[in-house]
Amino acid sequence: MRARWFSITVAVVMAVVFIAPTIVVVGSSFSDSSFISFPPEGFSLRWYDDVFGDPQWMRAFGNSVAVGLLAAALAIVVGTLLAMGAARSRILPSAAVTGLAVIPIVVPSVVLGVGFYIVAVNLGFTGSVVGLALAHAALGAPYVFVGVLAALTSVDRSTEEAARVSGATQLGAFLRVTVPAIAPAALVGGLLAFITSWDEVIVAGFMTSPSFRTLPVLIFAQVRTGADPSTSAVATVVTVFSLLLMLVVGGVSALLARRRRLAATKARADDTATSAPEKGSR
Amino acid sequence: MTTPPAPRRRFGVDFATVLASPAVLFGVAVFLVPVIVILVRSLTDPSPATYADAVTSDIFLRSIWTTFRMAVCVTAVCLLVSYPYAWALARGPKAVRIVLLGAVLLSFWTSTLVRTYAWQILLNNTGVINSFLIDSGLISDPLPLIRTDFAVYVGMAHILAPFTILTLYTQLTSIKPEVEQAAASLGASPTSVFWRITLPLSLPGAAAGGVLVFILSLGFYITPEVLGNSRELYLGSVIVQQIQVLLNSGTGAAMSIVLLVMVVAVLLLVGRFVGLGRILGIRRGDR
Repeated sequence: MRARWFSITVAVVMAVVFIAPTIVVVGSSFSDSSFISFPPEGFSLRWYDDVFGDPQWMRAFGNSVAVGLLAAALAIVVGTLLAMGAARSRILPSAAVTGLAVIPIVVPSVVLGVGFYIVAVNLGFTGSVVGLALAHAALGAPYVFVGVLAALTSVDRSTEEAARVSGATQLGAFLRVTVPAIAPAALVGGLLAFITSWDEVIVAGFMTSPSFRTLPVLIFAQVRTGADPSTSAVATVVTVFSLLLMLVVGGVSALLARRRRLAATKARADDTATSAPEKGSR
Repeated sequence: MTTPPAPRRRFGVDFATVLASPAVLFGVAVFLVPVIVILVRSLTDPSPATYADAVTSDIFLRSIWTTFRMAVCVTAVCLLVSYPYAWALARGPKAVRIVLLGAVLLSFWTSTLVRTYAWQILLNNTGVINSFLIDSGLISDPLPLIRTDFAVYVGMAHILAPFTILTLYTQLTSIKPEVEQAAASLGASPTSVFWRITLPLSLPGAAAGGVLVFILSLGFYITPEVLGNSRELYLGSVIVQQIQVLLNSGTGAAMSIVLLVMVVAVLLLVGRFVGLGRILGIRRGDR
């Protein structure tokens, strides 16, 4: 019993340590003084006014959104198709496709950044939305791949077979049966890909230029040379945005888990029933 | 049950392969080519002797040692704090579990950059901790907290602990309570239930989380750069410096390959015991 309360006490203290840094950043952004202080001295929104009125921050904001959206879209398509290859292809070896798909999460960001940088310098597309979005698509695609692979390998294939028997083409069956089944997983992966791009500094540091910078790159530059409360304000905006997206991810994932549980219960019930109705036949 | 229709093979290639092929090409071009380009650059800019120069250079060897020591310590700290946390998360009262889960997720979802910045605010000479101590009269000169290994270790452990906590928590919830109850009903004390049942059964989760934290630590850049001492560089900083400041892309590429080999070696070694899929979070359904 003592061990139990010891454990819980340690955990609660740790929980405070976990959230304290985030609270310090958010709190210091509302300070009225011109240097970073916590607890904040007075209360003002002047640093938010500063940030939203500063074209440099607003440009970086626009760049981050553009790169994130393009990277997430690419990651969804590439990750989903790679998962199809790993789960279903009779020609491509599954282990090789999986290995290819996880390269970006195995290789450290610094190393990937160096690689992208050398390639981009040779091809002349450093400092462009497309160049950084391609690199960030690589970082995000594994999330989509892992999620969609799990969905694909647990989906009931007899529904697709039923669609084929009823006269659907392979493409038709894929688009109308498989895609709806894996869409939530792909969407969750895509959101994670967006957040990854939204928060990413290292690869972005290699791929941006003084005239094209994203929010994290600009924040990092300030943190290195000397932050002021406006840095806290931007960091707060970025964090709130990520947290809101993560809540969406959490909600959709919970829904998916519930659906999987229901499907598993239903499959067990079908297996035990003596005359299982044929699924998908109308 | 219907029998599956024979797949139409117009070109002798199945549909999934047709769909996946463009993605495989994209993957090769965008995931694999950058790594190959680094390898080529490391061998040809100017010659394979780049490796000898890079690997025997004083700054590189020191950074490897600094980084390796940090990765070991950070992994150890993460595992140490994760056990009570994950245990309380899995077995504590419901209210406690909600608070603990919320705290670890809030931290996990705040970006590495923002959390590093937060530690800078906390540990600076004029930062939150030092101003508090000076204002309360406990010290007269600020404690040297920032730009030390201590600052790097604290920041890194704070950023990476959620990985070990969450993998350990998943593992703990997969242990059937009946197993622990059986041991207790046969007369084991709670302490011996933990040491002889819970701990051994949780080891795969601890190993998966630990190796993830270890390999992430090896390649970390932002946190050591902001919180660390500029005279004691970590591997990530040395590589970035070679590429961006000294413009020695050959040397930087060779160092990148050494880092990559270290990461892959650790991953394969531990992967043999706990499974690569578990470390990387790859899950397959059972159909």
